[in-house]
Amino acid sequence: MLEIFVLVEHRQGQIRDLTYEMLGLGEKLANQQGTSFAAILLGHDVKSFAEDLATRAPKVLVVEDENLKNFNSILYQQTLSSLISKYQPCLLLMGHSALGMDLAPSLSVEMEFPLATDCIGLSFEGARLKATRSIYGGKVNASVSLRESKGYIATIRPGVFSPKMVGEKKGGIVMESSPLQGMVDVKKFIEYIEAPITGEDITQAEILISVGQGIGGPEHIPLFEELAKNLGGTISCSRPVVDRNWLPKERQVGISGKTVKPKVYLAIGISGAFQHVTAMQGSDTIIAINKDPRAPIFGVAHYGIVDDFQNVIPVLKEKTKSWK
Amino acid sequence: MNIAVCVKRIPKTAEADIFIEKDGKDIKKDNLVFALNDWDGYAVREAVLLKEKYEGEVIVLTIGPEESKEVLTRCLAMGADRAVRIEAPSSSDGHLIAKILAQATKGQSFDLILTGVQAEDDGWGQVGVALAQLLGLPHASIVTHIEVENGKAKVRRELEGGIEELLEVKLPAVLTIQTGINEPKYVSLSAILDAEDKETKEVGLEEIGFTSKAPLDATIDQVSFPPTGKMAEILKGTPEEVVGQLTEIIKKKKG
Amino acid sequence: MKIDPKTFIHDYQLNICIQCGTCTGGCPVKFRSPLNMRRLVRETHLTDNFSSISKRAELWACTTCSTCSLRCPSGVKNVELIMGIRNFLANKGEVPSTIRDALENTLLQGNPWGRFRDRRADWAQDLGVKIFGEETSETLFYVGCAPSYDPRVQSVSTSLVRIFQKAGVDFAILGKKESCCGNEIRRMGEQALFKKLAKDNTALFKKLGVKRIITISPHCYNAFKNEYPDLNIPVQHYTQVLVDLIEAGKLHLSKELGISVTYHDPCFLGKQNKVFDEPRKILNSIPGCDFIEMERSRERSLCCEGGGGRMWAEGGTEGKRNGEIRIREAVALAAKTLATACPFCLLTFEDSVKTSGLAEQIVVKDIAELVMEALEVQ
Ligand SMILES: Cc1cc2nc3c(=O)[nH]c(=O)nc-3n(C[C@H](O)[C@H](O)[C@H](O)COP(=O)(O)OP(=O)(O)OC[C@H]3O[C@@H](n4cnc5c(N)ncnc54)[C@H](O)[C@@H]3O)c2cc1C
Ligand code: SF4
Ligand code: SF4
Repeated sequence: MLEIFVLVEHRQGQIRDLTYEMLGLGEKLANQQGTSFAAILLGHDVKSFAEDLATRAPKVLVVEDENLKNFNSILYQQTLSSLISKYQPCLLLMGHSALGMDLAPSLSVEMEFPLATDCIGLSFEGARLKATRSIYGGKVNASVSLRESKGYIATIRPGVFSPKMVGEKKGGIVMESSPLQGMVDVKKFIEYIEAPITGEDITQAEILISVGQGIGGPEHIPLFEELAKNLGGTISCSRPVVDRNWLPKERQVGISGKTVKPKVYLAIGISGAFQHVTAMQGSDTIIAINKDPRAPIFGVAHYGIVDDFQNVIPVLKEKTKSWK
Repeated sequence: MNIAVCVKRIPKTAEADIFIEKDGKDIKKDNLVFALNDWDGYAVREAVLLKEKYEGEVIVLTIGPEESKEVLTRCLAMGADRAVRIEAPSSSDGHLIAKILAQATKGQSFDLILTGVQAEDDGWGQVGVALAQLLGLPHASIVTHIEVENGKAKVRRELEGGIEELLEVKLPAVLTIQTGINEPKYVSLSAILDAEDKETKEVGLEEIGFTSKAPLDATIDQVSFPPTGKMAEILKGTPEEVVGQLTEIIKKKKG
Repeated sequence: MKIDPKTFIHDYQLNICIQCGTCTGGCPVKFRSPLNMRRLVRETHLTDNFSSISKRAELWACTTCSTCSLRCPSGVKNVELIMGIRNFLANKGEVPSTIRDALENTLLQGNPWGRFRDRRADWAQDLGVKIFGEETSETLFYVGCAPSYDPRVQSVSTSLVRIFQKAGVDFAILGKKESCCGNEIRRMGEQALFKKLAKDNTALFKKLGVKRIITISPHCYNAFKNEYPDLNIPVQHYTQVLVDLIEAGKLHLSKELGISVTYHDPCFLGKQNKVFDEPRKILNSIPGCDFIEMERSRERSLCCEGGGGRMWAEGGTEGKRNGEIRIREAVALAAKTLATACPFCLLTFEDSVKTSGLAEQIVVKDIAELVMEALEVQ
């Protein structure tokens, strides 16, 4: 009877891929528990989303309210807590994303549901939820037991679970009335801000030479620039490289940067945090150069070199000089 | 403007060899170097910048054993005015941490409470937002820019895909700070040595009136190395040989 | 600890400057940055707005080569002035971001690159080297940061280990317990951190019963010899040790190298510590090594720009780097090898060989590597 809820993520008129991954996981867990799952859709003018979701979930609960047009954690929380009180789901899945990170912890405190964040695995042991999380920069996995409870909340790491495909049977769409009484003034959405692209567009590049914190400092950037020139590629980077002003923001690959799918992605001194990996794992060929044989990047790369980049890159640069 | 910043001492693991403790519940830490959580460093710096602009006081808090005093000293050297260490065994239960912090900050007149988005070690990313709920304050997470005017904070939150959202949050509020929000300043050793003379208040859980004996929300059963599964094909040989293979691959794949 | 710039006049004897300009004249970065030592001395002496002087980016262009202070006829402490200003800035946290990272890394990991402490002795793993703590010795082979971590310089460390082993020198290294010597740290302005490193290192050396120290880098040599206040342990640069070994007949350099080589005097070995002859003696005892002297040699050697924290600072200078000038000078002498005896010179020259496109014509070697080659009998 106790269902599994999946909170739909959408922004600027689009359902985010993570939603389908959560539906895939929701279905798997529901089968395991002998229960069913439902997509929870909050928004304004989201009929078309509901239709799409009904092809992948047996039930779609929709709350239509113009105040839910853009995400606001307080309004989402009010809506969800009233849905949870009504339906008593055993588990609510959200993305480990800008949305889920802003909402799950406060909702979990309010509902007194234990929370597991950034999960890469979830299962029930009886009625108790167990989570697998990746910690210490991806170097080890932790199995976590959550205390016994009538309900749980888990946020799901993007790019880990297989998405739910369109099914044959169409699910039902249930319109729920909105519990909201207008906007709140303690937290207000104003607008989206998109950073303009000024230099090269890394999403268009066929070859990306991508550098991480492991290159040690900006003094090595010219070396990579030359290599990029030889290979006819473009330089991109991980987030710390931008935080330290070694390269501009527009070069950042990752969930808070750009998603890229070049033919060749050369990752140098990048450990392979999921915020980085989810945005480049669609590349045709991934080659990683890292000193640490245990670096998680080797889990997504097709080819790897375990060495100091200073041993490899100068040689590679010399060798590819004639390619220009 | 009075600001509290919650910080954590974490082990640096990026380049280290990792070993698992005998009981299988954590990694061995005696070969590791500890530091202030990167995200928290940005939070403290942001608090100090806000203080310089709007005046007031910056207080840093940490929960942890004796050794965590060193990160508080660093925060004092960065410009925080007071430091409080709450003596408690470190815990991986974010909810418990948030409850203790709520007890410690409750009833004090902070305009802002800052935390890092997450900790480098276990990365729950939960404490700041849970703390806000416990205190009944509004919050914003993953904040990359703060401006304060008329009792409100205009903040930018980082979303996916290079997009940000602009929000208005009424103060007092809890904000979780993203890396890159400011340019960290060098913290000189002489500033750290001076800060060692400043007082760090040490309090126990009873002293702050924390008595809850509720069971933990989350406990770690065991840690293990990730399954190797699909792994990269590792190119072997001297740098020249490796590069030889590499150029062949690139040539073939770039089309 | 507050620093009062007013005391600079007295501390660095700015008031005895006769404004002759000799300092600026010999400065290796004078064409490449607005740094003008004569003017800096004058302005610091007379200003009542010191903070405007301290904001100038060119203060980070100085390589601390010491040419200025060594040549000053009055005895003004020019380099100490630069370091004093940088100290003033570091204490306020106002240093370029790359210097900031280097200093914080040193406090945390014991080396400016932030490489893990635990990995400091990885290079020595298969060499059968004694490590203090496990075994003991009277002679400490102090490796240093770049020779421990930088793959190019590691080859110098490995060569020296093999050479010492062959000559039967008893020595041990500190392994993971080794920390930065602090020479560059002091020059980047972090006097307090330097003092801490000096104190901790001195205590460690004494505890281990070290009776003699051999260094790879002239920078470490300089720190131990001249700037550690309570060390009182004899320090040798490795070139001094090798000369002794060669002269005592313990090293048989037998392999003909068949090369023409010139030598670049590192500032911290040559002009600052007057070790000029040992490197030349070594080169002259290598068979088939045709030694050509550079025009600017010994005291007049042109700074490579690797010192004074310049390994970590960017900017502040423009135009062709001295490293490139030096490479061209060596090529003009028809030398096929440019030898040096300092990790920083080695790294800056390696880079300059590439940027100047002269890789076909000249190679850069450390003297230790040449000795190693001459030892190897195939
Ligand atoms: C909300 C949020 C959003 C984020 N968004 C992004 C994002 O969009 N993109 C992103 O990249 N990150 C993002 N992050 C940060 C992410 O979690 C990681 O911190 C980051 O990706 C790590 O970058 P890195 O791999 O360059 O550095 P590190 O994790 O420090 O790894 C450095 C690696 O270099 C190796 N190395 C060191 N020296 C050498 C050498 N000499 N030769 C070879 N290898 C060497 C080390 O072994 C190590 O594996 C985000 C985090 C949060 C919380
Ligand atoms: S060389 Fe000495 S005396 Fe001459 S200008 Fe420079 S500091 Fe003054
Ligand atoms: S130490 Fe060298 S680089 Fe610095 S000012 Fe003097 S001569 Fe110029």
